[in-house]
Amino acid sequence: MVYYLMICRSLTYAQRAARTLERHGIAAIVTKAPQDVSENGCAYCVKVPEKRLSEALVALKNTELAPSKVFVLYSDGHYSEVQT
Amino acid sequence: MIYLDAAATTFQKPDTVYKTAISAMRTVSSPGRGGYSAAWKAAELSFRCREAAADLFKMESPEYVIFTFNATHGLNIAIKHFARPGKKAVISGYEHNSVLRPLRAVGAEIHVVSAPVFDTQKILDGFESSITSDTAVVVCNHVSNVFGFILPVEEIAHMCAERDVPFVLDASQSAGILNLNFHALKAAAVAMPGHKGLYGLQGSGLLLCSELLNPILEGGTGSDSMDSNMPLFLPDRLEAGTHNMPGIAGLSAGIRFVAAKTPETIQIHEKKLVQYTASSLLKMKGCYVFFDPTMQQQTGVLSFYHEHIPSEHIAAKLAERGIAVRAGLHCSPLAHKSAGTVEKGTVRVSFSAFNTQREVDIFLNAIENILRDEKRELFTKSSHDFVAI
Repeated sequence: MVYYLMICRSLTYAQRAARTLERHGIAAIVTKAPQDVSENGCAYCVKVPEKRLSEALVALKNTELAPSKVFVLYSDGHYSEVQT
Repeated sequence: MIYLDAAATTFQKPDTVYKTAISAMRTVSSPGRGGYSAAWKAAELSFRCREAAADLFKMESPEYVIFTFNATHGLNIAIKHFARPGKKAVISGYEHNSVLRPLRAVGAEIHVVSAPVFDTQKILDGFESSITSDTAVVVCNHVSNVFGFILPVEEIAHMCAERDVPFVLDASQSAGILNLNFHALKAAAVAMPGHKGLYGLQGSGLLLCSELLNPILEGGTGSDSMDSNMPLFLPDRLEAGTHNMPGIAGLSAGIRFVAAKTPETIQIHEKKLVQYTASSLLKMKGCYVFFDPTMQQQTGVLSFYHEHIPSEHIAAKLAERGIAVRAGLHCSPLAHKSAGTVEKGTVRVSFSAFNTQREVDIFLNAIENILRDEKRELFTKSSHDFVAI
């Protein structure tokens, strides 16, 4: 299954983002961001299912919680940045 | 023990506080320090605590809720951010040393607004004339820890907002007891302990802030690890090092207890006990009681002294009877200067949601007995003196 990783600047920020998405009925999981996608080391991200990405981005933008970057995470563990 | 020292720390806690703190010790590690279950539980627990505090204090965003070790820690962060050497800092004449000493350490020019206890208008007039455009910061406590005097902080905050001066509130004696609307107050920062009116553990506290403040402690945050500077976002910037997770768990449960019971209900209960206590103390010969009969300007804190018996002696005699109160200057020499009690100090009785009228009756009975015993002793001493002369 394919997921999207939305990179957040802090754990608390990621938790707020996840809460916002949950309120919109979008399953969101906070996880540590992979080392090579976090520019400054130790970052967090919110993982959302592939089909809910655009809806999630709108919800976060409306609450001023837009992620700094978004990556697509493939089922084999690889990921690549996507432009939003 | 009959514990009447809630202004120092609330000794009796809700059962949920004990249970949650112990459970945290057994089940959670540290937020932001791992991707395993115990670390995520810690992250969730700390976030829930921030959310609960943000809800109780009407804050827009939980990341502006900072975990501190106590109110003093939060006040140090805020004061050291805003105060400047040689620049004016305006404070009330009822501030604790947790405000006075950091300002002194910074080298600020401290301007104290003094007024008699419960004289709200004089406090307002003093701040009105003291807050000028060259004021670096105004720091004021919501409630005096010695007298329970409620200061007019909404009006003072409004003066600060009008003059574009940062306002720092010490909510040590009001958080969980008086309504505190951070959004409406427009304060730059509000510091509070977790272990008093919020019924959390000692060693816990909160700093609510409206902007990015400078840290007084640097270290690991579990974020931006490649940067040798502290992160430029909250709460990470102000939370270096491992969190006090049992403390945060207990605080979270304490905040929920207060929110469910409501600060208004707790306040009414404590005020009733103060009225009941004061009305009896006022009848005791030689007792001087600091009491606002309207109870509009006083919370559940009551101070008194006896004209002949030292305050510490009364407290020691009460302690012998298993009654805990605090006597002396209560780390607030400024408040005692304002009230004219520096020489004698006071005996402070302070209540929590867990105190009862029966406990007050036992306390009052003990005071009557102590005064009677001491009067007898005083009389005996003076008789001996007379004989000697």
